[in-house]
Amino acid sequence: MSFVYVITGDNRAFYEDSLEQYYRLRHEIFVEERGWTDLRRPDGREIDAYDNDHAIYLLAMDGGRVVGGQRLYPTRLPHMISEVFPHMVERGVPQGASIFEWTRYFVVKARRTGRTDCRLLAAMQEYCLEEGISEVTAVVEMWWLPRWQQAGFKVRPLGLPHPIDGQPCIAAAIEISEQSLGHVRKIAGLRGPSLVREAPLTPRTHRVPHVAA
Amino acid sequence: MSQQSFDFATEAFAFIEKLDQISSVQDVVDEIAKSFSLFGFENFIITGLPGIRERFDDVVLLRKWPAGWFEIYTREDYVRVDPVIRLCRSTAQPFEWSEAPFDREREPRAGEVMDRATDFRMRNGFCLPVHGINGYEACFSMSGVDLDLTSRTKPAIHLMAMYAFERARQILDPRPREDANLLTPREREALMWAAAGKSAADTGDILGITARTVTAHIVSACRKLEATNKTQAVARALQYRLIRI
Repeated sequence: MSFVYVITGDNRAFYEDSLEQYYRLRHEIFVEERGWTDLRRPDGREIDAYDNDHAIYLLAMDGGRVVGGQRLYPTRLPHMISEVFPHMVERGVPQGASIFEWTRYFVVKARRTGRTDCRLLAAMQEYCLEEGISEVTAVVEMWWLPRWQQAGFKVRPLGLPHPIDGQPCIAAAIEISEQSLGHVRKIAGLRGPSLVREAPLTPRTHRVPHVAA
Repeated sequence: MSQQSFDFATEAFAFIEKLDQISSVQDVVDEIAKSFSLFGFENFIITGLPGIRERFDDVVLLRKWPAGWFEIYTREDYVRVDPVIRLCRSTAQPFEWSEAPFDREREPRAGEVMDRATDFRMRNGFCLPVHGINGYEACFSMSGVDLDLTSRTKPAIHLMAMYAFERARQILDPRPREDANLLTPREREALMWAAAGKSAADTGDILGITARTVTAHIVSACRKLEATNKTQAVARALQYRLIRI
């Protein structure tokens, strides 16, 4: 049974080992399996410009082993849709304090027939509801849409599908709601929260720029 | 962004918004027919892909097919040999009917269904397979004689078809969907192996999990199915077609 851990700039020091596994899994899944060869790195860790202190990771872990993951990133900052995929959006890139970009979603192969997928989807809605996030945006292959819709997510297209590496992909916005969370929990048979938040090890004040001693 | 593809985007977004505002089956069929006729489509069907014991006419969600063709297709059980349906099971990408492969020599019935469809002006077609969660498979297949299928129109058609499918699913399929999603994949697996006569220990070995976990899945399935034991749970799951053996 997996739980979904919240990892932010505040507590990431506590999760170095998990994040290391996570970057390697990203390489395995996005580069090796999905063929996003532009992301290939010699050290086998898929890390990009958005893996910084602003990133929020929701990692599904089972006994210390990462079995799935996803990343949220503030749209007030330059993010993938604004920097890499603006051509996929017809009516303006959604940006705002309550809108986050949702990227690098995956479930490891061994867990794809189980509940990890729905647990991650539920965790995303749950985290966003708790944090006052109203909408997440994402660029995905088109075949994700019916999966999200059947999970109870309300999905708004931001543009027409465009091919990326020969695959039709779309930029879309997903509404965050109690209703969607309830629906995905119900179809996955989840009775309660999926999220685990552990107290940050480093005090929040460390985020404030200060003169190094 | 060219003016033309911008117009297709406008058309697609307007269609998606319109679908949200209508809820009767006939209104949805009419709206789909009207919007897809812009690309030359005259007929369409939105249907689940039937399981081995399911009847085609039980899994159809929405259709605007010539009455005579639906009657022939159902009577001949063409869904079992239709190359378009077969390709839907193995791809998530939309495709033109002409791209669905079959061997005219060795599969005469596949040739027959494609040939006879043309008698009903279903000469060319485009099909969007849908692979949902928990194994739900469906498609939106549309056809006509003179289709506007180009790299400019296909993205709009793809997007519109996906939302049309979703609206059809929302309106027509709530009960079966609840049932189909009642059990988790692991619970279904545990019950299927139980139905095949395997013990919890055997099942655990097969699935690579402990016997205790298998038992937990069975217990959970029993609770959901309101069954007092494993045997009753298997019987109920088969009866409601939640598992197949």
